[in-house]
Amino acid sequence: MTAPTTVTTASRRPRKRLISAELLKIRTTSTWWLFGIGMVLVTLLALGLNMLVTHFQLDPPLDQIAAEQQAQVIADSEAAHTTAGLIKIAANLLTSGQYLGVLFAMIIGTLVITNEYFHQTATATFMATPHRTAVVLAKLVAAGVFGGLFWLISTLINLVGTPLFLAAEGVEIHLTDWEVIQAVLLNLLAFVMWTIFGLGLGTLIRSQIGAVIIGIVVYLASDLLLSILVPLIHNWIGQDWVLNLRVLAPATASTIMITPGEAFPDAPPQWSGFVMMIAYVLVLGGLGILLTRRRDIS
Amino acid sequence: MPDGHIAVAGLTKHYKSVRAVDGLSFEVEPGRVTGFLGPNGAGKTTTLRMLLNLVRPTAGIATIGGVRYADLPDPVRTVGAVLEASAAHKGRTARNHLRIICRAAGLPDRRADEVLDIVGLSTAANRKFKGYSLGMKQRLGIAAALIGDPRVLILDEPANGLDPEGIRWMRQLLQSLAAEGRTVLVSSHLLSEMEILAEDIIIVAAGKLVTQGPVRKVIASLGGSGRTLVRTPDPAALTAALGEGATVSPGPDGDLWVTGVDAVGVGEAAHRAGVVLHQLTSESPDLEGVFLELTKGKADIR
Repeated sequence: MTAPTTVTTASRRPRKRLISAELLKIRTTSTWWLFGIGMVLVTLLALGLNMLVTHFQLDPPLDQIAAEQQAQVIADSEAAHTTAGLIKIAANLLTSGQYLGVLFAMIIGTLVITNEYFHQTATATFMATPHRTAVVLAKLVAAGVFGGLFWLISTLINLVGTPLFLAAEGVEIHLTDWEVIQAVLLNLLAFVMWTIFGLGLGTLIRSQIGAVIIGIVVYLASDLLLSILVPLIHNWIGQDWVLNLRVLAPATASTIMITPGEAFPDAPPQWSGFVMMIAYVLVLGGLGILLTRRRDIS
Repeated sequence: MPDGHIAVAGLTKHYKSVRAVDGLSFEVEPGRVTGFLGPNGAGKTTTLRMLLNLVRPTAGIATIGGVRYADLPDPVRTVGAVLEASAAHKGRTARNHLRIICRAAGLPDRRADEVLDIVGLSTAANRKFKGYSLGMKQRLGIAAALIGDPRVLILDEPANGLDPEGIRWMRQLLQSLAAEGRTVLVSSHLLSEMEILAEDIIIVAAGKLVTQGPVRKVIASLGGSGRTLVRTPDPAALTAALGEGATVSPGPDGDLWVTGVDAVGVGEAAHRAGVVLHQLTSESPDLEGVFLELTKGKADIR
């Protein structure tokens, strides 16, 4: 075998090389574009649902509402027509698809690590780069890029649909207010954070199918469970701080993080969702690096 | 750039109650094919994985060119290894699989096509890995190992899944790579294969070293040089002519088994003594039998 001259003239930037390799891994399988299509569907569904709810909020069908509820509905409608109300509506519409969409981000984070074990490519990967921390960090970046891509798909759809809908409703369109832009950017942050969450989960549970299922169950069930349990406990011991415990569910934390004002009645403050997500990311990302460094690849 | 000398010293790996590798030491020289031989479960794969920083040793050290694998400045261009046949994403093409390694190692993408050409997979380059036969997977593994033009090659049971044509191809490839001055370390559980392929062998069983050295020397120490079957009308005269160095014992149909002297020696002695020979057949030692005897009881499921 003759040694090609090219082999001796390699790029000397290992970090960039690694990220490029990890991006290529994702691009050369079909997962990412299947998830991209899923993202389109989830966004269209969520946006449609949000439009419907918003339509009845702005313009309630009073003739179909019981007399004793009418005062409350009218008050809500008036609040929705204020600037603050319209900003919240715009932020909500522009982040449509977040609740289910971040699941795609989480799963792609899980797959970048579990694929290595499932397809036995971990051997080749760690032989090419024995510095495992560098490999995990490159995976975090690559998965984050695709998390960001999913956000972009979702946001583009929302950016087309939202002004059309608001114009049809005949209300002021608040797209460039800082609170709205902030919500959209925090949504991007949430997508990226969920890829890290997923990657950490994938190192903890190496089984591909196991990690994905547990991730989805934890995401959906923890939110549901705490939304039932927390009010019960609150009623029982009568302390208001108990209501803040809902932020412990990761799905709730990311919803709280991206929503200006109250995400739902009696919701914990926005900053608490942010802090909780940071905590999850640090713990799971840290565990991911630690376990990958120590693990025998056999 | 480190040279291709592999040194393993006191290498040990314990899994809970099992000592997969137990104080193993050996050295591998560049420029020749070295066979790493042992029954299944002898700790061969674990040893190779420790050498490549994939498994963390309980004790001991393994170096390539005096450097631990994890400290090699450019691992892909120093060492190439084939550890499992089926090690690519099933939905990915062979070319993309290799391009990913190129990216990680800082090699140009076209190197992927060059190695595909070397292993004869160019026409299947854009086929997805799930459509590959076992033999094609082995070839792809070798392509990946050659990608950085490394001076050290490590292969774990590379003949598995290859047809006779593929085995011959592999043998010639590995021998030519060694002839270029590279270090080639090949594990196997088949002594007969190593006899043809390797110049040096290292034999392990139950995680421990049994013996190591040039293949002819090791084989001689295992089973001597074989025996010779002789048919002669005058057994007594032949026995006398062979002298003290030879052992003669009765064989089938009145023939003689001669050990200690090879067929050439028997023929020459008979010629000098004027003894007529009707048949002279040399028989190779039953190496597999000797090898099994040597490693018997150590190959249990552990």
